[in-house]
Amino acid sequence: MEKTIESRELLDVKDLYINFYTYAGVVEAIDGVNLLLKQGETLGLVGETGCGKSVTSLSIIVLVPPPGVIEKGDILLNMEDRAINLLKQRDRALMKIRGADISMVFQDPRGALNPVYTVTQQVGEALLLHRKEELCKRVLQELERDIQEANTFKRFIYNCEKKIYEKMMNTRRRSASLNALSKIPIVNRYQGRLRNEIRKEVVKLLKTMKIADPERVVDMYPHELSGGMAQRVVIAMALSCDPRLLLADEPTTNLDVTIQAQILLLIKELKEKMESTILYVTHDLGVVAQICDRVAVMYAGNVVEVADTLTIFKNPSHPYTRDLLNAIPRPGKEFKSIRGEVPALINPPKGCRYHPRCSKAMPICAQVKPKLTEIEEEHYVMCHLYER
Amino acid sequence: MEPLLHVEKLKKYYPLTGGVFKRKIADVKAVDGITLDIFKGESFGLVGESGCGKTTFGKTIIRLLDPTAGCIYLDASKKVLDEIQELENSSSPRDSKRLKELIKEHDIATFRRKRLKRLRRRLQIVYQDPTTSLNPRMLIKDTVGEPLKVQGLAKGKDLRERVMKMLKRVGLTESHLYRYPHEFSGGQRQRIAVARALVTNPEFVMLDEPTSAVDVSVRGQLLNLLRDLQSEFDLTYLFVSHDLSIVECISDRMGVMYLGKVVELAQTTEIFKNPTHPYTKALFSSIPVPDPTKRKESAPLTGEVPSPINPPVGCRFHPRCPFAMDICRKEEPPLIDIGNGHFVACHLMQK
Amino acid sequence: MKAKKARSESPTIKELKFIVTRIKKSPLSLVGIAVIAFFVAIALLAPILAPIPEGQEDPYRLMHYGWTSEPQPPSPEHLFGTAQYQYDIFYGCIWGTRTAFRIGIIVVAGNLIIGLIVGTLAGYYSGVIDELLMRLTDIIWAFPGLLLAMAFAATMGPSLDSIVLALILVGWPSYARVIRSEMLRVKQEDYVEAAKAIGCSDLRVITRHILINSIYPIIIMASLDTGAIVLSAAALSFLGLGPPPGYADWGQMISLSRGFIYKNAQDPLGYWFTWTYPGIFIFTFVLGWNLLGDAFRDILDPTLRRR
Repeated sequence: MEKTIESRELLDVKDLYINFYTYAGVVEAIDGVNLLLKQGETLGLVGETGCGKSVTSLSIIVLVPPPGVIEKGDILLNMEDRAINLLKQRDRALMKIRGADISMVFQDPRGALNPVYTVTQQVGEALLLHRKEELCKRVLQELERDIQEANTFKRFIYNCEKKIYEKMMNTRRRSASLNALSKIPIVNRYQGRLRNEIRKEVVKLLKTMKIADPERVVDMYPHELSGGMAQRVVIAMALSCDPRLLLADEPTTNLDVTIQAQILLLIKELKEKMESTILYVTHDLGVVAQICDRVAVMYAGNVVEVADTLTIFKNPSHPYTRDLLNAIPRPGKEFKSIRGEVPALINPPKGCRYHPRCSKAMPICAQVKPKLTEIEEEHYVMCHLYER
Repeated sequence: MEPLLHVEKLKKYYPLTGGVFKRKIADVKAVDGITLDIFKGESFGLVGESGCGKTTFGKTIIRLLDPTAGCIYLDASKKVLDEIQELENSSSPRDSKRLKELIKEHDIATFRRKRLKRLRRRLQIVYQDPTTSLNPRMLIKDTVGEPLKVQGLAKGKDLRERVMKMLKRVGLTESHLYRYPHEFSGGQRQRIAVARALVTNPEFVMLDEPTSAVDVSVRGQLLNLLRDLQSEFDLTYLFVSHDLSIVECISDRMGVMYLGKVVELAQTTEIFKNPTHPYTKALFSSIPVPDPTKRKESAPLTGEVPSPINPPVGCRFHPRCPFAMDICRKEEPPLIDIGNGHFVACHLMQK
Repeated sequence: MKAKKARSESPTIKELKFIVTRIKKSPLSLVGIAVIAFFVAIALLAPILAPIPEGQEDPYRLMHYGWTSEPQPPSPEHLFGTAQYQYDIFYGCIWGTRTAFRIGIIVVAGNLIIGLIVGTLAGYYSGVIDELLMRLTDIIWAFPGLLLAMAFAATMGPSLDSIVLALILVGWPSYARVIRSEMLRVKQEDYVEAAKAIGCSDLRVITRHILINSIYPIIIMASLDTGAIVLSAAALSFLGLGPPPGYADWGQMISLSRGFIYKNAQDPLGYWFTWTYPGIFIFTFVLGWNLLGDAFRDILDPTLRRR
């Protein structure tokens, strides 16, 4: 059966099941997740610890760490002319997709940066992998200009360089001859041009990220950067190749509140400028309200409610969403919480996973798992209360 | 109202060593001169971003850390405090002798060894992360019973009963006694930590972000428990947090810290109604509100949070302050009373 | 009223169970355990396998079965043959197992005690104490154990005690280092600070809170070390610094075979039994401990735990 995807949709996660085989038992982390992302929208993935939101985002870029195994499901990505199933791609194809079509921003900015490489080297790595042709073209243009202005001797050298860059631009993999050339001491100075182009591109990217004094920052090491700046560098790395989809896994959780506000504003501006699609994973409902167009609420490995942001906050339908919003502290009133605890997923509750804590639980909830049904336009809920 | 804790010009510096001979090259000025009162029975909230020194301040006043300078008067009546003030101003040798006596008696910053150990039963702490604040290889009954044992407050059967009573009070049962921390959820572990803090019947408890490591859906239970315990055991709380919405609900008075100093101090309702210091205003408006109709169009504060090693000269906030004036770059503004028990440290107020 | 003791799994028991499952999956560690178990059995059953000759008080003295200097090949009476001066090799190897365990356990225990004290003081108190103790550790570490053993042999006379003493005195630095680094790591945990906040004395904090949580690396070290120690002891013994000839010790027995490695042109390896059997015992014993230690290290390595 051909798996298809609408042209306005970018990503379609269908029936995803992921298990973690730990020595303590099998953790049923993702239990049939369905998500749809439209082009250009920001979808917030909200839930508490253990609900599976991070694992879901990792599965989209197919980087689920062992002992996690993707049992079944399809993740369809819309690549302009066709749709590809990410879970059925081979490693080589995935390597090309990662960074170029889908990129990810992680929670700990300094953990995502390699401490022994400068900013240029790290952001440049992504550029070199995916935008080499474009950069080589620029170098060639520069070379043409230089050739015209130069004298005979220099012209000879520039022509040699031109040949090297043309070869670099046209070969897909590293050719042996280029490899050898790059190791000879004086000859390999031709690489300087490419490095300059990369550096210029990185400075441009950092300027877009609103980093002050980017010329100085590109040569810094990660430990010299503050948390906010490091996260901006990571976002620059993620956006360097103009990806279709940006996965953001709690990128501001570790940052101070005032810095978080700056980063959120930056993301908002970039969203508008670059029309990128973002999957924003967080547990902070405030952040969701600020930057997300639509929200998917997850609980214990299931998506329990999906709707646009306004509806989720003003008209939450799933009992968990309602209880979660109720638990937001309000001054002068008693603190509300949800009775019970987030369940361990080694032996998850049967039927609807929320039923042990749900104030509206019915007998059927303990036996049959509800399906995600559309209760009004673009508003989906997974609850027996709404199943007809 | 009598202050339970009167802190005067408290400083806590961490020396930075460097070079071959590990000489001191600079100080991390975590707490740089704070004077305030915490009253009996109140819940005092302390907010600020990372590096502002709020956790250091809390740990210093309960004497987990040794202060670099300043005084901490525990349970000193106003009469005594006034007397100390007078004696400090005089210069006669008899007065200075009396001053020394009073300080030795009431200033817990000077307490050492045996007196300090006895002090520990009156000042306690609940840590942020219950996974790391409980010894993973110690039974719950031992963890909660250890304070009583170490302080010599109970033995044998009496100790067991007191531990049992405390555990029941925080919502756990007898079957939990002989278990290890890893068998409990985050919320339960935090309650065990609370039981451990309260088993010696302290007067003052420092709560270091007690809910940030607990699931959102369970936070309310913990906060309600803390509130109930406060009125039942007549406790005074110092609630350190970066989560303003919780502090708004649980604290009576509140202080905002920036780079080792208090920049604003007032009743909680007053501060939220009327934030005055530019940093407080920026901080409050940076918090993302869970209401999609209230979206912000601009970031309230630019620039980075500076490091406490080399704080800016004059008012520490001036490099990021949108209202900075000339005087802000030169002189540090004192904390002044703008009425209603509302204190602000800003030159704008002095006009 | 007695509280109901609903004993649940302590973290230590849980870890042990985990270790057992991992061991079952790793064949090399099973081999290691089997080897060590085999040697333990031999050591325990020594009086049965190689009965003490009549009238002999000290079971570790090898009996002379005649006085000829030439070693005799294996026969039904002497299963492994006899060495120079007709010492029974089989008897020596069996009782040598007990000696090996004795050496291993005593030296490791001695190293542990000294290492614990030095490492704990250095790690917990830091500052000047740390610097002094660590420099002392560095000096001892660089000290040649052989020279020390020779010095002891010269003053006290060569014996088992002198090599045991020498090995204890130069072996503790690595333990001190490991314990110090564990101390530094655990010292920073919140529950240690919480213990101080209750008013626990330093001693209580160290014993009740820190050491209990840092024993695993030390266990690994100790097991890896036992093999190496027995090897070193055998070498020192071979050099003549250890027990006198005729003592049931593997190194000693190899030393007895020194002159009999080569027989003559027609039958070059004629006296193979004098050095092969003790050699096999040493080799297998050390291999067993090495495999066990390696297996422990792999199993208890937290980064590989998830798999």
